[in-house]
Amino acid sequence: MKNYTLLPFNFTRLLGKEVLVNELGDMLITPIGTANKIVEHSINNEELYKSLVANFFISEELLPSLLDIYASRLRLKKSFLDDRTALHIFVLTLRCNQNCIYCQASSREEGSKHCSMTYKMMEQSVHLMFRSHSPSLTMEFQGGEPSLEPTLIKYGIELAEEINQKECRDISYVLCTNCRNLTDDLLELCKRYHVLISTSLDGPSYIHNKNRGREDSYEKTIAGIQKARMILGDEAVSALMTTSELALDYPKEIVDEYVQDGFTDIFLRALNPYGLASENENWEYYNERFVAFYKAALDYIIYLNKQGTFFREVYASIILRKMLTPYTTGFVDLQSPAGTVNSVLIYNYDGYVYASDESRMLAENGDYTFRLGKISDKYEDIVYGEKVRNMGKIWANEALAGCSDCPVKAYCGADPVRHHSTQGDMYGFRPSSFVCKKNKAIIEYLISLLIERGDEVMPIFRSWLR
Amino acid sequence: MKEKFEIDSNSNVLFVTDQCNNRCIMCCQPPKRKDDFDYYYKKNVALVKSAPKETKTVCITGGEPTLSGDRFIELVRLVRNELPDTEIQILSNGRLFANHTLAQLLKEVGGEKVFVGVPLHSDYAGDHDKIAGSKGAFNETMLGLYNLAEEGVAVELRVVICKMNYQRMPQMADYIFKNLYFVSWVALMGMEDTGYATKNANHIWIEPVDYSNQLCKAVDLLDGWGIPVAIFNIPLCLLPQDYHHFAAQSISDWKTRYLDICDGCILKDKCCGLFSTSKKTYQGLKPYTPSF
Repeated sequence: MKNYTLLPFNFTRLLGKEVLVNELGDMLITPIGTANKIVEHSINNEELYKSLVANFFISEELLPSLLDIYASRLRLKKSFLDDRTALHIFVLTLRCNQNCIYCQASSREEGSKHCSMTYKMMEQSVHLMFRSHSPSLTMEFQGGEPSLEPTLIKYGIELAEEINQKECRDISYVLCTNCRNLTDDLLELCKRYHVLISTSLDGPSYIHNKNRGREDSYEKTIAGIQKARMILGDEAVSALMTTSELALDYPKEIVDEYVQDGFTDIFLRALNPYGLASENENWEYYNERFVAFYKAALDYIIYLNKQGTFFREVYASIILRKMLTPYTTGFVDLQSPAGTVNSVLIYNYDGYVYASDESRMLAENGDYTFRLGKISDKYEDIVYGEKVRNMGKIWANEALAGCSDCPVKAYCGADPVRHHSTQGDMYGFRPSSFVCKKNKAIIEYLISLLIERGDEVMPIFRSWLR
Repeated sequence: MKEKFEIDSNSNVLFVTDQCNNRCIMCCQPPKRKDDFDYYYKKNVALVKSAPKETKTVCITGGEPTLSGDRFIELVRLVRNELPDTEIQILSNGRLFANHTLAQLLKEVGGEKVFVGVPLHSDYAGDHDKIAGSKGAFNETMLGLYNLAEEGVAVELRVVICKMNYQRMPQMADYIFKNLYFVSWVALMGMEDTGYATKNANHIWIEPVDYSNQLCKAVDLLDGWGIPVAIFNIPLCLLPQDYHHFAAQSISDWKTRYLDICDGCILKDKCCGLFSTSKKTYQGLKPYTPSF
């Protein structure tokens, strides 16, 4: 073994192995004691030594000849930064026709007034969206229940289409709806502009209806999904679930519900501490139970895949893409620098631009920390303003205490908004951070699956990432 | 080498030089030091000018063809001008493309229908250099591959399996996916037993039956990640049946050979056969019969 120098990496111990991860997110599973041997120059396993060199953990040259390749690969991992904001969320209204127990968006009664976006605001928002340089733009309609404002949706899409005749961006549209109010007219509009439907389905009727506060919610949602699929095609309809406390006891039943409804994936999402959900009392207990729920559901999903049913868990797929491939994802909650502003901007019904979906939810509780400016303000004043510059100091986990030396930081992200709302401090204190605890538990669980059941799970994971 | 090109042949070769900047331990055409650029250049110009316009593929090879510098670029330009629809295949160790300008020039004169086949011997630089017989070869080849990718030139990666690298085939597959994710496809190749390979047989020769585990694992990994992968130069009877569809008829038509026992084989038409140039045949060859 030759003389070598160390390249930056972190490590952790799991299941009797030492897991080394470098700055590119490349991972090596090695025997316990490897990190120490690297430091002491006492590696005696030739194949391990070769793997360490080949995978950029140590270098046989003082200045690695392949540093440019390392840089090129790092650039690919951070390519979500190349083009600025791609996801633009338009919160059309707070009005809603449901009454979800964990509502994250402080919705109001269907007949409420003064809580919808004006046409003028829509016009200014669409113009702001086009100020982003991103060659692909996603215009996402949220609420409340955005389908209660169909003419505003139509106006927004048609304006975007008109501007895009000159701009020539690749625009996609997403309508986040509970599917109760998908009229023929609205679906016709969706068909014309290839609008994707993103709906919420929490599981079987006894969970969904309880969560959604209506006896007929499950029935209506399923009927809406079927109607939308018929008109727009199966591929155009996707669903998200939110894990209420009730749901924690039913991992298998929830997955079965999705399979039975013809979905090929599920996104197992934890509750977040906004809106009504923050009245949920014992967060520590909920978090622990969520992680157990997630593991049970994921194990069941792996079992289904082994039986020949292709079915994907989206959160795991996002992490695994960062862990096992040279690529990255556009998922805003697990990015460093954070997805706030860099990958997402919110145009809210109240006439203001916010840094993220969570930011506008905070505003409903009187916290305007992440209100970046008025929709009528200049683009530069919004995205290069003082608030964003201050967030910029603490939105890279490579430079945060408690993150920078974390072995799995390459698969995680920075979340100033969440830390502000849960800890009263954007910087955040990792030892007591629930978001840290949850992400770390899930990431480490995925790694432990690779260690213990690699041959079994890898073909499945690869199929999810294709 | 042919004196005239044939439209459908897979061996329309433009031989550029006998010289090389590698000394690969299994080289089937050991390099010479003689200055032969002009001699071959003139021959190649005549070949290209007399070639049928419908020629499907032309292969520019050596030695290391890029060593001829300007003449290499001029030759590509000539082929492109004379045979605008012909695919240009270049076999190079990729080292000189570490100079970005050469990659840029190749793209400029060659256009879209060019691909470069580059051998990579290991994921570990030390092993690659040992096999290539030249220190620093790995780094230059890697930088060359990145420059070609940046210019949008299609790259075929060629891995010749020998005793010195077969054990790391799975690691190599992972390395390729992580670091060379842009390659168009990967060919995992059996060795030709001639030239240096015969001379160095003790160090490098290994039977396909002895590396088929590692080979199949590497195929699984590359295929699983969606990187097109092919097995070259290994007869079907030496591969598990599940892997037959990865095997290609990879041996140039003029040097393909079958044994007498192959006559009774029902897969003969689909099999690459053996190198007529190889001194020895592989162990374990057996015909597929209808009852097999």
